[in-house]
Amino acid sequence: MQRRSFLWNSAAVGLMTLPQLARADDDSKRKKGDLKNQKPSTASAPIAPPAVPRARVIVIGGGMAGASVAKYLRLWGNAVDVTLVERNPQYLSNIMSSLVLTGQRTMSSLTFGYELLKSRYGVRVVFGDVVEVDPVRARVRLATGAWLEADRIVMAPGIEFDAVPGLDDVNLMPHAWKAGAQTTLLAKQLAAMPANGVAVLTIPKAPYRCPPGPYERACLIADWMKANKPRAKLIVLDGNLDIVTEKDNFSQAIFGLHANVIDYRTSVEISSVDTRQMMVYTNYGAIKADVVNLIPTQRAGGLVASTGIATANGGRFAPVDVLSYASTVAPNLHVIGDSSATTQPKAGHIANQEAKVCADAMARTFEGQSPDAAPVTNSACYSTITRTQASWLTAVFQYDPVARVMVPVAASAAASVGWKSGNFKQMNQWFDALMADTFA
Amino acid sequence: MKKSSGRALAFAILVAVFSAGASAQVTVSPPGRLLASNCFQCHGTNGKGPGFERLAGKSANELFSEMKEFQSGKEGDNIMARHVSGFSDAQLRALAQWLSTQR
Repeated sequence: MQRRSFLWNSAAVGLMTLPQLARADDDSKRKKGDLKNQKPSTASAPIAPPAVPRARVIVIGGGMAGASVAKYLRLWGNAVDVTLVERNPQYLSNIMSSLVLTGQRTMSSLTFGYELLKSRYGVRVVFGDVVEVDPVRARVRLATGAWLEADRIVMAPGIEFDAVPGLDDVNLMPHAWKAGAQTTLLAKQLAAMPANGVAVLTIPKAPYRCPPGPYERACLIADWMKANKPRAKLIVLDGNLDIVTEKDNFSQAIFGLHANVIDYRTSVEISSVDTRQMMVYTNYGAIKADVVNLIPTQRAGGLVASTGIATANGGRFAPVDVLSYASTVAPNLHVIGDSSATTQPKAGHIANQEAKVCADAMARTFEGQSPDAAPVTNSACYSTITRTQASWLTAVFQYDPVARVMVPVAASAAASVGWKSGNFKQMNQWFDALMADTFA
Repeated sequence: MKKSSGRALAFAILVAVFSAGASAQVTVSPPGRLLASNCFQCHGTNGKGPGFERLAGKSANELFSEMKEFQSGKEGDNIMARHVSGFSDAQLRALAQWLSTQR
């Protein structure tokens, strides 16, 4: 009974946020122009949440993993009521965000809303902060004090950064590793640096979000510097023993194509920074720079640790059963995307697929069935080697029932041989498709 | 005798009705759909775009033979050739079959 009353409380909270229904009119007006270009079959009446839900799921975090799982639970679940709780009114894509640094992309081209998840799929969207997760009763407390209750909770809060000693003002040494104000700030700092200036980019020790990301950013900035800061240098301080992924392409780019710009150093640990002096102190000495893109080491979003389920990687990430992404510590909670500890990379494309496996498993579970015993996921991405050319990297993962982990299939795990402009065009097409599969 | 066979018949009907009900429920995850969802990131939800080539509604044989062609390397060493190399023939057939049902 108490459970039922909580359900209606949660519905009420969902409705309370709906004064934004007033905005729905504006949205429909704005979209009318677009609809003209669409085939009539794609325009459909808004779908409401189920009147009589068979199960209820709360999704925490509306990034690549969270938005995908909310959409696919509604698409595949049998009358599953889905409430997505997200802190920000819009999602800013990390994928492609390094192109903002070179002036090739605007932040608005990376901005995605939650309107279509609501209108096309009947996802309830609550904008707010989750401050507590109760893993036993499957309920969450919002910063407003309201509790939302469900049958299952999916946690997809992404990553958090470790503190760096001396980093008193993050804006003076931005990470720009979560797209947002720091992205545009770093772009401005790069643009303002002297033509013979020094920029530092730090690569955290793995595991971190988007393994090829820091290397592609380094290549992109180096290419941009050649045209815009002809005597500038980019010092790359890698916390790892070697280039962690796509080694052939990045080696050729860093030690060949961009060798006169990039000074690449491995096994560098950042001990502290001084934001006033713009100094970076490392196990190999101190470096003074004009711009510091400080990408710290990472862990699961704080809520994962405070719920007590971040027991992998020395307490950094959440171990899960990859048949369903249920936490191995608290089975009512599922963890997908960058917060989970799996053999798969932490990245948006594969987070979308983890979400589908999780949604399918939950849809089956709610009907008394077992999850698919042989799930498959895939990772795919493009890396900018110059401002007009890209490489690609991909892998398909199959479930190993003995080790109970996802294993990359050798024949599928590969990168392009070199880079070309055709890949750069494909990258844009891939991005549009991926974001539509996630948010539209 | 007669009575008991009547009962058996009634029981059989009951079982048939219940299992029909049950089989309506088991379609919660049609075969091939979760596998096929690996295509959606680049070919759109349900293979209907936006993105690269539309997959929805093509015949299962056509999809399967196209994927085998990529796998053989005839289309060059591109991202799709690598991607299809991660699936078994049985998996490719299952996902092609499901995509062929999409309109």
